[in-house]
Amino acid sequence: MTVDMVIGASVLAATLRLAAPILLAALGGVISERAGVVNIALEGSMLVGAFVGIVAAEQTDSIVIGVAAAIIAGTLLAGIHAIAAIHWRSDQIVSGMALNILALGLTSYLNFQLYGTTGTPADVPDLPTVADQSILVWVSLALVPLTHLFLFGTVSGLRLRAVGEHPRAAETVGIGVRRVRYAAVLASGALAGLGGAYLSLSVAHSFTDGMTAGRGFIGLAAVIFGKWSPIGALVAALLFGYGNALSTSLQGATIGDTRVPVQLLGTLPYLLTILAVAGFVGRSRPPAADGVPYEKEGH
Amino acid sequence: MSGGAPTATGPGPGGPAPSVRQPAMQWATGPAVPVISVIVALLLGAVFVAATGNDPIAAYAALARGAFGTPYDITETLVSAIPLVLTGLSVAVAFRTGLFNIGAEGQLLVGALAAGAVGARFAELPGPLLMPLVILAGILAGAGYGAIAGVLKAARGVNEVITTIMLNYIVVFVMHWLLQSGPMTAPSALGTPASARIGDGAILPVILPNELVPLSRLHAGILLAALAVAVFWFLLWRTSLGYELRAVGLGARAAAQAGIDPARRMALVMAIAGAFAGLAGMIQVSGVFQRVFDGFSSGYGFDAIAVALLGKNSPLGIVAAALLFGAFAHGGAIMQSNAGISSHLVSIIQALVLFVIAAEAIVRGIAGRSRRGRKPVEAIA
Repeated sequence: MTVDMVIGASVLAATLRLAAPILLAALGGVISERAGVVNIALEGSMLVGAFVGIVAAEQTDSIVIGVAAAIIAGTLLAGIHAIAAIHWRSDQIVSGMALNILALGLTSYLNFQLYGTTGTPADVPDLPTVADQSILVWVSLALVPLTHLFLFGTVSGLRLRAVGEHPRAAETVGIGVRRVRYAAVLASGALAGLGGAYLSLSVAHSFTDGMTAGRGFIGLAAVIFGKWSPIGALVAALLFGYGNALSTSLQGATIGDTRVPVQLLGTLPYLLTILAVAGFVGRSRPPAADGVPYEKEGH
Repeated sequence: MSGGAPTATGPGPGGPAPSVRQPAMQWATGPAVPVISVIVALLLGAVFVAATGNDPIAAYAALARGAFGTPYDITETLVSAIPLVLTGLSVAVAFRTGLFNIGAEGQLLVGALAAGAVGARFAELPGPLLMPLVILAGILAGAGYGAIAGVLKAARGVNEVITTIMLNYIVVFVMHWLLQSGPMTAPSALGTPASARIGDGAILPVILPNELVPLSRLHAGILLAALAVAVFWFLLWRTSLGYELRAVGLGARAAAQAGIDPARRMALVMAIAGAFAGLAGMIQVSGVFQRVFDGFSSGYGFDAIAVALLGKNSPLGIVAAALLFGAFAHGGAIMQSNAGISSHLVSIIQALVLFVIAAEAIVRGIAGRSRRGRKPVEAIA
């Protein structure tokens, strides 16, 4: 094992590359949960984004249309969750689980239907890079201060947080609780869809069944570990991305005679998140009305 | 809410009351909502199949033939249903106590790893000694893993949804390590990292003679599953502990008033839930695969959520729902090879079933019993 394997330039570059999709999902999760809706269908939004992004880019030969289609697809899936969670007051965890399974089933089914067993074509257009990183990496980083400013520096952001903390009070001062929640959930799906586009169009240049491989859930972990704040989510995403980068760079490395158990690095995001919610690493407290369906008075 | 479909989560101590209130045999007397959910999901699935240029009738015919076409197919459907019964019980026992166990998948894997490790390590032992050891290993490992979420819930008020999701992923990576470069690594002919084969004494025998159903894999695990269903029923409806668990599920605050400590019951029930799922993992090792390998479970722990909800957390309902999903699993694979329609169609249908159950208000509307006032899911964390 060498120092380069742990903090070399390639490891840091990989950290950014691996953190970006987690960050995009996490920012979506922060917005949605701050408004009081738990969206564990982020994983599904990401997966449909990844798939639709590839198909649209390949059909139109336009990377812009590919990315836009991915965002729309992620938003649509989140829209179903929004209707279920807000309008029908479904259980948000069950609805989210159902949509994750649906996303996996739909994309795998259509992937088989469209491309058979040969896989997606290799000639999809590529995303531009800036300083050796996909432009979407920089977009995801830029979205952190923007989301922070929106949530904590604008009236709309204040309203969104009010809806997640105390919907009844928000309603009495004239804020449309349902409308705000719809907007927040849709935005979370858009961000996750963008994360999916990044995975398929920029990292893999193809689509494979289930390729998001739990990144939406790591995003959810980053929301919690980052204490429901955009900056916290960034720190968490970078930390989780770093762990991920390490597990690649330390592949086959040894300390003395022992092989480094790199696979165990994969447990890092989940272990840290459990420790954080249990209060062993700071205390993570969700918005007061997070996950609680809102019903107008008199119903 | 005596006719209420099961809700997913329940309260923390002092939280709002959940609506998991139906007697044990509810499903047998009132299967309207689950049946309608399945029908709606099948119809939506048919629309989707038609929209993608395939023939829905041919697809469903192939699915049904695949699942029940020959005696062999029926036994394979049963083989697929066995782990679903057990993971379904795991999720259901937690629901009954007002908790949402998303961790059955992880608990199953831990149980499988323990059973695989013990079965291989003591491979020389004779069956009468080894089999109980392997069963115990699977159950205890699953229970221990489930208890982590339960204890964190009881001691620190941590939402079990978060912990069980995280624990599911943790075991996957630990499993990668164990099988790829850790102590359970063994030469594998599977093309995927796998553990060593368990001893003959740890293998659950095939229960149908080859002359009756050639090549059948239906193993004695079905008897363990049946026993587990009986235990589930007996525990919840015939013991005082079960009464207390259900009381906590109906309302933690009221239960506390009655002198039941909800926190302790919640910690305990997660261990019980883990025990059922761990047994499922053990059965897959001992009955089907004889070893553990990467990608061992095809999501039985996640399908279990739909199984428990569809089965209304009742013993008979869970068995029926597991048989349905077992038929989907085996039939889907045959449908793909015979009718050229992706087996992922069954995932779509299962997702729709789950989604329609979640949107219970709508099903109620269809059932003509419009009702309002579902209790909210607890805040996450």
